[in-house]
Amino acid sequence: MKRPPMLMHVKIRGERRGFNLWIPIFLLLPLALAVFIIVAPLILIAIPIFWPSGWRKRALHIFGAVFEIICSMRGIKVDMQSDHDCVYISAI
Amino acid sequence: MDENKKKILEMLAENKISTDEAYRLLSALGTEGGTSEGTAKSGTAAKMKSKYLRVCIVPGPEHEHGDKADRVNVRVPMTLIRAGMKFTSLLPPEARDKVTGALREKGIDFDMRNLKPEDMDELIEALSELEVDVVSSDGDTVKVYVE
Repeated sequence: MKRPPMLMHVKIRGERRGFNLWIPIFLLLPLALAVFIIVAPLILIAIPIFWPSGWRKRALHIFGAVFEIICSMRGIKVDMQSDHDCVYISAI
Repeated sequence: MDENKKKILEMLAENKISTDEAYRLLSALGTEGGTSEGTAKSGTAAKMKSKYLRVCIVPGPEHEHGDKADRVNVRVPMTLIRAGMKFTSLLPPEARDKVTGALREKGIDFDMRNLKPEDMDELIEALSELEVDVVSSDGDTVKVYVE
């Protein structure tokens, strides 16, 4: 089973300012789950409303595809450097 | 030992065939098995091996001492490309028509409606053989490859 990345490292450095950020995605996942549980009743109400339009199937597919994209981000690395600027994004 | 080889050896033991004939038959069997196994193994290995699409831009020796030495090192997981391509099938028909129209305006005759999941798999598999290696007159190197 695919797992989402656990950590994301974002480093941006400009000519004057910059920042270095480690995002602990493994801590955000329980938070996202909690939000999903809170929003679940609203989703249950929305399903019968959007049922006739056929929107539900598309929404489920989009949800699945977005989750797959997030899970596939593990291992991505973008490292760009010029003389003064630097952009570094990595998902572990 | 497989059944065919056993039969050949039995025929040899019963003197129904000569040693040369047995040898020829056994080697023919060996080649058949070997090629099919080899192809399957190499195919699976290629699939397993290609994990990332790499794009690297390395400045040439002229830029070693400082000015405008841009460096790019991008690593994109192949699974992300696969997932991204699956996303195209979720585009609403109106958006697909717009994309097709825009491509046609640019002179590219490509209809997104004809893009099937099997074609995408084939396309991604073909990417594993991609290799672009460009060296500019300044010595800058651009490399696109799959690892």
